[in-house]
Amino acid sequence: MGKVKIKRKSTLIDMTAMSDVTVLLLTFFMLTSTFLQKEPVTVMTPSSVSEEKVPTSNLASILVSPEGKVFISVAGEADLINNDPSWGTEEMRKSIIREAVSEYNRLHPSKKVELTEADILTFSKINMFGVPFSYLHEFLSKSQLEQDQIIGDMSNPRVGIPIDDNKDMTKPNEFQIWMRAIRNSGNENIANAMKKGEGIAVKADRNTPYEIVHHVLDNLQSLKMNRFALMTALKTEQD
Amino acid sequence: MAQIEQSDKGGKKKKGAQKKMSIHVDFTPMVDMNMLLITFFMLCTTMIKSQTLKIALPTNEKVEDTQMSQAKESEAITLILATERDAEGNIRHGEDGRPLNIVYYYEGKPDITDENKDGKLDNNKLQRETFLGNDGATQRGIRRILHDRNKQVLEKIDVLKQEWRDRKFSPNKDLNDSIYQAKAKEIRNDSLLTRPVVIIKATPEASWESLIGALDEMQINQISRYQIDNINAVDSAMLLDYIATNGKN
Repeated sequence: MGKVKIKRKSTLIDMTAMSDVTVLLLTFFMLTSTFLQKEPVTVMTPSSVSEEKVPTSNLASILVSPEGKVFISVAGEADLINNDPSWGTEEMRKSIIREAVSEYNRLHPSKKVELTEADILTFSKINMFGVPFSYLHEFLSKSQLEQDQIIGDMSNPRVGIPIDDNKDMTKPNEFQIWMRAIRNSGNENIANAMKKGEGIAVKADRNTPYEIVHHVLDNLQSLKMNRFALMTALKTEQD
Repeated sequence: MAQIEQSDKGGKKKKGAQKKMSIHVDFTPMVDMNMLLITFFMLCTTMIKSQTLKIALPTNEKVEDTQMSQAKESEAITLILATERDAEGNIRHGEDGRPLNIVYYYEGKPDITDENKDGKLDNNKLQRETFLGNDGATQRGIRRILHDRNKQVLEKIDVLKQEWRDRKFSPNKDLNDSIYQAKAKEIRNDSLLTRPVVIIKATPEASWESLIGALDEMQINQISRYQIDNINAVDSAMLLDYIATNGKN
């Protein structure tokens, strides 16, 4: 009678192959990813069949929250031309805020806004901004965490760029001052893109009443920025 | 795989030879770390870039009535978008779970004569439709209405599309695409065909989705002439009359 010998097997599992697979996956995600931009409110854009992609560079995007609050985000050239930083996003934001504040001070001599260099530097790092000029200095001197908390609070009356009905271009409202400042920031690429209608994108939630979005579009029309893009998501089969 | 085995080649142990050792590297922590990194990248990235829909609005400057381009009455079709909302302003959803985005439409000129003065319009041309996707190959809802109005263009485009699929214009894919686009544009703007002029108007409470939906229908139905306009008193009178006669549903 032969005895059946049970071989004692080691329970070690070889993880090398697994490691190979995960590294490959990781490489794939790292190469294909574009990071989500921080936005004060999450909006669900409506869907359309349009297949044009939103440009990543030279774009001023306007976010309209369902409550009607307006935020602007600006992106410059993704790849610097001849390594000249003045085409980059941060330098552009600096020139935009200088331009906008000086314009605001010219129009409102009684309530001048003073910004420090540190404020301007902080502003150049913020992706999406949206506070009234009168609150700008106080807002920019807060820490990033506090800024995020403030700007995410839609019930705060000091959040969102003030945008009132205005067709008189000698006295533009704050939204119009900002949009003009973006066009006149000295960066020709974004000015040209805005002219062609590629440089402005309006993003609004699908449930937002038309009244609110129409108000923003109306303001753009008054600025003679008649051509722009509306951000949408891809339409699915059942829509 | 991860172990390096040092086997002595069958011979006798030499004196002073190193002890046989199996070097085994445990990759489990490495895998753990990679998985964490993958999770991080998966959560922080957007794979789908937003699409954009380009529009051009007319200038705000006042244009003389005589300079305005007039659409032919037979070609004009006006869409009035509305969305049903409850008292808090939340959008109501239909039985199928879709938001109640409603399209009222009329063809030609509006007519709000009320000769017998009973507060009701004599011939309200307003009709009601909804946004509906295709059911197989048949169009439904407002898409069917617009499709029927733009039939001549769509038939020609369908022929063109087949040629494009067969790569008849050029074997080169990009060239094929661009020739197709140019030809399709020519057909869309061909003034010999009967093409509708669509005027899109939206009530203040209409959802943004419905406006995009209407613009989207223009793309789907290859309508080249459309515009977004503001709702006026005549439109609201027709709308109120329609709701008074037919109810909301």
